Amino acid sequence: MEGEIRNKAKNGSLYWVETTIIPFINDEGAVYQYMAIKTDITLVKRIEAERDRIEAERDERSAELEAVNKELESFSYSVSHDLRAPLRAIDGYALILEEDYENVIDAEGKRLLDTIRHNAHYMGNLIDDLLSFSQLGRKDLAKTLVNMTTLANATVVEIGRNKEHNATITINPLHNVMADKALIECVLVNLLSNAIKYSSKKEKPSIEVSSTVENNEVIFCVKDNGAGFEMEYADKLFGVFQRLHSVEEFEGTGVGLATAHRIINKHGGRIWAEGEVEKGASFYFSLQTENKKQ
Amino acid sequence: MENNVIEILLVEDNMHDAEMTIRALKKQNIANNLIHLKDGAMALDFLFGTGEYSGRNTQIKPKVILLDLKMPKVNGLEVLEKIKANEDTKKIPVVVLTSSKEHPDIEKCYELGVNSYIVKPVEFTNFIKAVSDLGLYWLLLNQPPQ
Repeated sequence: MEGEIRNKAKNGSLYWVETTIIPFINDEGAVYQYMAIKTDITLVKRIEAERDRIEAERDERSAELEAVNKELESFSYSVSHDLRAPLRAIDGYALILEEDYENVIDAEGKRLLDTIRHNAHYMGNLIDDLLSFSQLGRKDLAKTLVNMTTLANATVVEIGRNKEHNATITINPLHNVMADKALIECVLVNLLSNAIKYSSKKEKPSIEVSSTVENNEVIFCVKDNGAGFEMEYADKLFGVFQRLHSVEEFEGTGVGLATAHRIINKHGGRIWAEGEVEKGASFYFSLQTENKKQ
Repeated sequence: MENNVIEILLVEDNMHDAEMTIRALKKQNIANNLIHLKDGAMALDFLFGTGEYSGRNTQIKPKVILLDLKMPKVNGLEVLEKIKANEDTKKIPVVVLTSSKEHPDIEKCYELGVNSYIVKPVEFTNFIKAVSDLGLYWLLLNQPPQ
């Protein structure tokens, strides 16, 4: 016979004992005495209770986390849907005013309307960028072997297709990496577009992409001869909505580098920048080499 | 309903989007026979001749339905499902209009048999272009199955 019994100690505190009772039987088959073996299992009980509590807490937390994720998803959707609708109305009605009252509105009036529309478009871009930035957190990495030379060349072609520029872009042979191709492409798009943008006011804009291997990681570099930046603000480059140039100087929402930062962080790599005002900027990011698998 | 020809049925709860859409279609001279309904419930009543549209000759069908996804009461997805599940209405081309390309229902729309899917851009000029292109396409180029 075995059992666990909760006892009260003389000082009033409760303690658990595991009790095994063994009957001794004589030749006639009658029990003539018992032996009880008692073990104090208070500590075991306490540990078990603690384990149950932690497990319950963990279950509760993961349920909470799931709920929060769901909420975030619907929040992102609302942001992209509900914030865009009024913007479309602002832009649309400003255009209708411009078209239907063409003869009444003078040049200054038209400039004011254009400013309204320009800002509506800008906010539309902000919403889109912020949305894709927030979605990065949810995506799992799908790592494959990425041929970075091919990817960088394809990215340059794609950027050229979307936006005209006169930069000379040199892609040196690059090291391959294990990474999420779509996300790394997004990093390249951001860094190359930035390089094109910030060197666009130079007479001969020039951009170079290269890579080196150091201690099991590949370090990529996107270097331009553009506007550069003051090194003391280098840490501000990668914050969301942080910009070192005004929108009048160079267009942008201030989400691109934050996105690149987040992607490289997710890959376990680092991203940093070096620059000098009016001499250019170099953006570096590191990824693990192709033969080192997680 | 006196009108015997309905070219476009626009189902859109946002009055501003509706006004801009109709204006864009008017500029293409294709909004003459347009009917605008403000929610999914009304759209279903109209298409199936129920509720406030009971007695309507449902044989007069729109040539194309422009359907917003996010609407109060009956949403666009439910309307699409009912249209495509019904023998009488399933051949009417349905173009879904929505504000967000992030919509988790894009795939669902295609499963249900949507004919086209347009994300309403913030820039009105693009919006006009999208709406006009699509209106012209469905009404002038596309031959409905007999």
